[in-house]
Amino acid sequence: MRDLLLGVRLSIAAGRPGWLRLAMIAAGVGLGVAMLLLVASVPTASGNREQRRSDRGLTHITDKGGLLVRTIESRFHDQAVRGRMVRADGPGAPVPPGLPRLPAPGEMFVSPALAELLAGPGGDVLGARWSARVAGSIAPPGLAGPREVYVYVGSGDLAGGENTVRISSFGGRPAGTVRVEFLLLAVVGAVVMLMPVLIFLITAVRFGSSARERQLAAIRLVGADGRMTHRIAAGDSLVGAVLGLGLGALMFLAVRPLAGELLPADFVPFTSDLSPAPASAALIAVFVPVAAVAVTLAALRQVVIEPLGVVRQAGGKRRRLWWRLMPPAIGAALFVPLLGGDRAGASFGQVAIGVALLLIGVVVLLPWLVPAVVRRLGGSGVAWQLAVRRLQLDSDTAVRAVSGIAVSVAGIIAFQSILNASVTANLAAQPPGGRFAAVVFSDSADTNGWAEALGGVEGVREVGRTAYGRLRIEGPEQSQAGVRVGDCDVLRQAAALPSCADGDIFAVRMPGSGESPLSPGTAVQLYDFAGDKALSRPTVPANITTVTRYSNIKLGGWEYLATPKAVGMEASLRGLNQDGLLVSVDAGDPDAIERVRNVTTRLAPAATVEVFGDRRVADQFVGAAQAAQAGAVLLLLFIGASLLVSSVEQLRERRRLLAMLTAFGTPRRVLSMSLLYQSAIPAVLGLALAVSVGSGLSAALLAATNGPIEFDEAAIAGLTATAIAVVLAVTAAGLPLLFRFTRVQELRTE
Amino acid sequence: MVMPVQTDGSSPAEPLLHADALVKSYGVTRALDGASLRVRAGEVVALTGPSGSGKSTLMHCLSGIIPPDEGQVSFAGRNLADLSDQERSALRRQSFGFVFQFGQLVPELTCLENVALPLRLDGVRRAKAARRAAELLARLEVADVADKRPGQASGGQGQRVAIARAMIGDPQVIFADEPTGALDTRNGERVMHLLIGAAKERGAAVVLVTHEPRIARYADREAVVRDGRVREARTGRYEMGAVR
Repeated sequence: MRDLLLGVRLSIAAGRPGWLRLAMIAAGVGLGVAMLLLVASVPTASGNREQRRSDRGLTHITDKGGLLVRTIESRFHDQAVRGRMVRADGPGAPVPPGLPRLPAPGEMFVSPALAELLAGPGGDVLGARWSARVAGSIAPPGLAGPREVYVYVGSGDLAGGENTVRISSFGGRPAGTVRVEFLLLAVVGAVVMLMPVLIFLITAVRFGSSARERQLAAIRLVGADGRMTHRIAAGDSLVGAVLGLGLGALMFLAVRPLAGELLPADFVPFTSDLSPAPASAALIAVFVPVAAVAVTLAALRQVVIEPLGVVRQAGGKRRRLWWRLMPPAIGAALFVPLLGGDRAGASFGQVAIGVALLLIGVVVLLPWLVPAVVRRLGGSGVAWQLAVRRLQLDSDTAVRAVSGIAVSVAGIIAFQSILNASVTANLAAQPPGGRFAAVVFSDSADTNGWAEALGGVEGVREVGRTAYGRLRIEGPEQSQAGVRVGDCDVLRQAAALPSCADGDIFAVRMPGSGESPLSPGTAVQLYDFAGDKALSRPTVPANITTVTRYSNIKLGGWEYLATPKAVGMEASLRGLNQDGLLVSVDAGDPDAIERVRNVTTRLAPAATVEVFGDRRVADQFVGAAQAAQAGAVLLLLFIGASLLVSSVEQLRERRRLLAMLTAFGTPRRVLSMSLLYQSAIPAVLGLALAVSVGSGLSAALLAATNGPIEFDEAAIAGLTATAIAVVLAVTAAGLPLLFRFTRVQELRTE
Repeated sequence: MVMPVQTDGSSPAEPLLHADALVKSYGVTRALDGASLRVRAGEVVALTGPSGSGKSTLMHCLSGIIPPDEGQVSFAGRNLADLSDQERSALRRQSFGFVFQFGQLVPELTCLENVALPLRLDGVRRAKAARRAAELLARLEVADVADKRPGQASGGQGQRVAIARAMIGDPQVIFADEPTGALDTRNGERVMHLLIGAAKERGAAVVLVTHEPRIARYADREAVVRDGRVREARTGRYEMGAVR
C-alpha cells in the first residue's frame, strides 16, 4: 500500500513533464471512458423508450365504461404520425400518460414534434386531418422520444367495434418485433465500437511509459526491489486512470445531448434516458483502473528495470497459431446452420456470438500474422530494411494500434453490406411511381362513394379502381387462388409486368409455394371475395406468364393479376370487392397526397394510404449507412490518434539513436520512409485480414437474413482508402518530432 | 558533392581539418569561446578537459554536425558553412566515421548489417556491403557476432562493431566521443588499440574526446579544452603494440 501511495505521489509531483504525461493519459482514458459510458447507455435508453411505450399500452381491455381508443397510423410527407382517437365512456375513463386530462371532442393534445410540424409549411393541411384544435402538448412520460410525432384526438362519436378498443387503464407491454437485421447491426456495432475504445484505452494508459520506466530505474537505484517498482508503477497508473474516469464522466455529460441527435428521428432518446445503468457505470468505474494497472504490469513484464537503466526483452517470441484460430473457427462454425438460408436452425444468440468471435478473431490473429509475414520479408532499400528489422524485433506496439483499425474495418464492412442489402431489398419491394402515386386501402370499409370523394380532392387528377376476387376450379377439391383485377397500370403497381394489354392475366408465385392450384389451360370460376357469388367463367391460359410481386403486399401461395377483360369483367369491376383505389396527383402539388390522407381519414379512420415509389424505409437505411460511414471515419481518426501516440512514444524512446543515425549521414528521407513502412506494413496486413473477415462476415450475415450475397465494393474501397490515409497522416504528424529528434543536439549527454 | 582529399600529396604541415576561433552557445551557456584546432591527415588528436568544458561541442562542430555561431571549420580546404545540409550529410557518410560512448548501434539490425549501413546508405549493393563489413569485423576480431543483434554482444564487442562501422567507408577522419567510457580497463585498452591501429593502417586521422588521461596517451597530440578554448598540452608517446 505504501508503495502504491508512493507511485501516486510520484505521479502527482513529477513536475511539468509529469503533468503533461498525466494530462495526456487522462485525456485518452477520458475519451475512452466517455465512449464506454455512451455505449453502456444504449440499453438503458432503449429500455426507457420501451417502458414509455408500454406505459401507454392498450392491454387492459374492459367490457363497459372506461375509454374507447382507436389507433391512428398516418403520415405527413416523410414523417410517421401516430396517435390515438379517444372518447370517455363514463366518469372513470383513464387519462393517457403525459396528458393533464382527456381531450374533449374537437380537441387534441400533440407532441412537441407534431406542434412543430403543424406550425411549419403545409401544417394547415395536416391540422385539417382530425378537425380538432390543439388544446395542449403531450409531456415526456407519454412519448417514446422527444422527436416522436404523436397525437391524442378527442372524439364525440367514437363507438366500439372494429379497430377500436375499450380500456380500463393504460399500460402493459406492447407486442413489438424487432427486425433481425437491426439486432445484427446492433451486435456488430457494439463490438466495432468497443474494441477500438479498449485498444485506445490500453494505448493511452501506456503513454509516456518509457519515462516512467526510467523513473522506476532511478527508484531501484535508491533501494527499491522489483516487486516494489511494480507496485509503484501500479500506483502511478492509477492516478491517470482515476483522473481519466472523472474527465470521461464530464465528457459524457457534455456530449450526451448531442449523441442522441446522431440517431434517426424515430430513435432519438430523451437526454435523461441516455444514462448507463448503475451496475454498468460501476463496472466501468472498476474496470478502467483495474485495466490500467493490469496493462502497466503486463508491459513491465516486457522490460527489466535495473538500477542503472531499463533493458527491453524482445524478439525470439514465437506465437502459436492454433489457439488464435479457435475464435474465428468457432464463430464460422456457428454460422454453418445459416448457410443456405436455414434460419430456423440458429438462434439470434448464436449469430451474435458468431459475429463477436469472428471480430475477436481479427484481434487475436493479427499478432501472429504480422510477425509471421515480416519474418519472411526480404530487404531492399535501407528504409525498408530498418522498418522490417524493427518489426521483426518488436511488432507488438504497431499490431496493438493496427488491430483497432482492423476490427473496425471488418465490422464496418459487415455493417455496410447488411445496410446495402437492406436498401436494395427494400427498393426492390417498392412499386415504382408511375401513372398512379398512391393506393388507398379501404381496410374492409364500404368504398361506395370513395372514388367520387377522392376524385374531388384538390390536386387529384384521376382515381383508378382495383378489386379482389377468387378463381376456383369447381369440383370435389375446390382448388382456388386469389385474383387482383385492374387495368394494366393498376396491375403494374403490384408486380413488374413484361408487357400488358387488356385481356392479359399473370400468375404470381411466392417463394416456398408448391404447384399452382389452377392448372394452366383449365376453365375456372370467378367468385367475389367472400366466395359466395359466381361472376364469370374465364380460362387460365396455357402459356400464362409468371411474374414477381413487390413483396410488401402480403399474400401467401399463388395469386393472379388480371385485367378486367381476362376474367370477363367490365371496367367498373362491379360485383367484386373493391378494396383499393389508386390515385394520380398533380406532381407539382406536394400537399395533394396529404389532402388525400385527410379525406381518407374522414371516410374511414383506419384506412391506409400507401405511396408508390416510397423510398422512406430505404432512405432510413441509406441514412444509417451514411451515419455508419461518418462513424467509421471518426473511429479511424480515433484509432489514428492511438497510432500517433504509439509512434511518438517510439520516437522518443529512440531519440539518441535517431540523432546518431543522422550524425553519420543518414538522410532524413530514409528515416521518414522507415517510419512510414513501420506503420504501413502492419496496417496493410491488418486491412487485408479485416477485408477478408469482414467480407466473410457479411456473407454469413446476409445468408442469415436470406438476402442475396453482395458486397459493397465502393464502401470497402472507401474505408480501405481512409485507413491508408490515416496511416499516412499519422506518419506525417510524426515527422516534425522525427526531425526534432534527428538534430544532433540529442547526442549531448551533459 | 564533396571531393575526397588526396592525403598522399599533402604536406604534413597542412591541416586536413581546421577550426578557427569557434564560438557556440546553448542559451546562456557558452560552450565554445574562440576554440581553434588543426588536425593533420593521419594524426590522432585527443580532446581532453573537465566535464562541460566543450569537448563534445568542439567535436560536433568539427564534424559538421552542428554549425558554430562564430568562426569557421574547413575540411580539405572547404568551409563547411558553405556546404548544404545534404552535402554535409554526404561528407559525414563518405569522409568521416563516428564512434560514440555507447556504440549507438541500431538494435534491430544485426552487427553485420550495422557495419554495412553507411555503405548501403551510399547506394552500395547489399552483398558487396556485407562482404566488406564481414572483412572489417574479422579484422577487429568480432566476426563471431556478425549475425547477432547488438543486444546479444558484450559492451567491448559492441564498441568494436561500432569501430568497424566507422571504418567501413574508408574515412579520412574518425570522430570518437568517449569510446571507452562504458568499458572496463582491459576492454577499453583493447578497443583503443584496435581503433588507433585500424586508423593508422588506413591513414585516417582520429579526433578522440576523452576525459581519461590513460586513453589520451594513445593520441599523437593532446588538446586540452577548458572554458571553451583549446590549449595544446603535449604530444603523445603511443607506439603501436605497446598496449595489448
